Amino acid sequence: MITGPHRYADLARIWHRIVHTELVPAFRSLGWKVRVVIFRDANQDRFAQSDFPQTSFQDPGPGARDFVEFYDAALQTDCDFIFFLDADVFVLNGTWAASFTRHFDNPDVAALSYLRRGKLPGVFALLCRAKYFRALPDRAMMASYEDLQKWPDSLNRGPGERAALMLEKAGKRILDFNDEAPQRISDFHGTTVIRVSRETFAGVIGEEAFETLIANKRYFAMGAYDNVLLGWLYRAVFEGPFAPDADGGELGGSLTAEALRRVLARIERPELRAALSEYFARSDRSAERLARYLGVRAPRPVLTPDCWRAANAS
Amino acid sequence: MVVFSEFESKEISLRVLGSGQFFQKETFGPETVNRGAVLMECEWHGGVFESGIMMGGIFRGGQFRDGSFWGGVFWEGEWLGGVWECGFDRNGRYHPRTDHPPFA
Repeated sequence: MITGPHRYADLARIWHRIVHTELVPAFRSLGWKVRVVIFRDANQDRFAQSDFPQTSFQDPGPGARDFVEFYDAALQTDCDFIFFLDADVFVLNGTWAASFTRHFDNPDVAALSYLRRGKLPGVFALLCRAKYFRALPDRAMMASYEDLQKWPDSLNRGPGERAALMLEKAGKRILDFNDEAPQRISDFHGTTVIRVSRETFAGVIGEEAFETLIANKRYFAMGAYDNVLLGWLYRAVFEGPFAPDADGGELGGSLTAEALRRVLARIERPELRAALSEYFARSDRSAERLARYLGVRAPRPVLTPDCWRAANAS
Repeated sequence: MVVFSEFESKEISLRVLGSGQFFQKETFGPETVNRGAVLMECEWHGGVFESGIMMGGIFRGGQFRDGSFWGGVFWEGEWLGGVWECGFDRNGRYHPRTDHPPFA
């Protein structure tokens, strides 16, 4: 089973396209039976079945009340392997991904991790041998906090991280292919967080405060940037606005390209500019890789303001 | 608001947070009432949360009467109503949508 939680149908359509053109045929070529399940964490009415052929939906309910609880629930599905794939992660070479399944011949191997964003594998692109994960204690995949008495210096573990530690303790291994990912995976960060923030509280605090928040918070700026790139690809492939606002305005549910340029121009802290410049260059490469895969020929939007480029040149 | 303790009595002026206000990484004491503000990564120490949104941060005490709780830690306090979108209890255990901690 290939599965992942989604909140936005437009992003899910890109995910679905890549999953069905790369991963499904690659794993079927191994003789595996493959099915694709999308967990609709919100906005269920926006996911038209006709846009997601050969894919079933699962909605929040008992045992899977939200996307964090979903991972443990998914492990109870009757299947040998589960591929958890994050909403903004696109594996562009299914043959590469499938080639590592030979490692499951080793009984010590519990999972293959194709993408890691922290020290531990997480669930960004994780192919699990289901029975090993099912044997873990309840809620093993759940996010958690450790050392809360040390707040704010507590440790926040994302979904799947505790499971990775428990498996390691039990002598099982999660093989990590993260070093090879940059050539074969396009991934984006924070694309859902900024949209959730937009719909939850941007209207309450006002546009100026929301833009100030993005200018000060690196992860939000990253998400806004990546959504513009995804919007470029989405429009070219699906001919519609990506992350629209209530009136259908392109990127109004995140941050428009024009607003993002305005926000970035406000950032003066050199260390933040440097960190974002490095991240944006990574995102540009990721988006161009995905554009080549999708056959998109329209030019990539240039978002970094002139004042940044001038500063870098000098 | 008048707060009495064993050792002293003193008058504390009420601090009301209103709709349209946004706070990040700030700490609010027992004299605070939230009536619509958005709090991101803040600490809440004993006041009354009547409406608004708590995004991340830690709720160390007080009453949560209404509003939304997103992704923070509910260390202690009274949960009287509102939307529990997600969050953690004082043991670091995750509580999904609708499942506010039992001691809250």
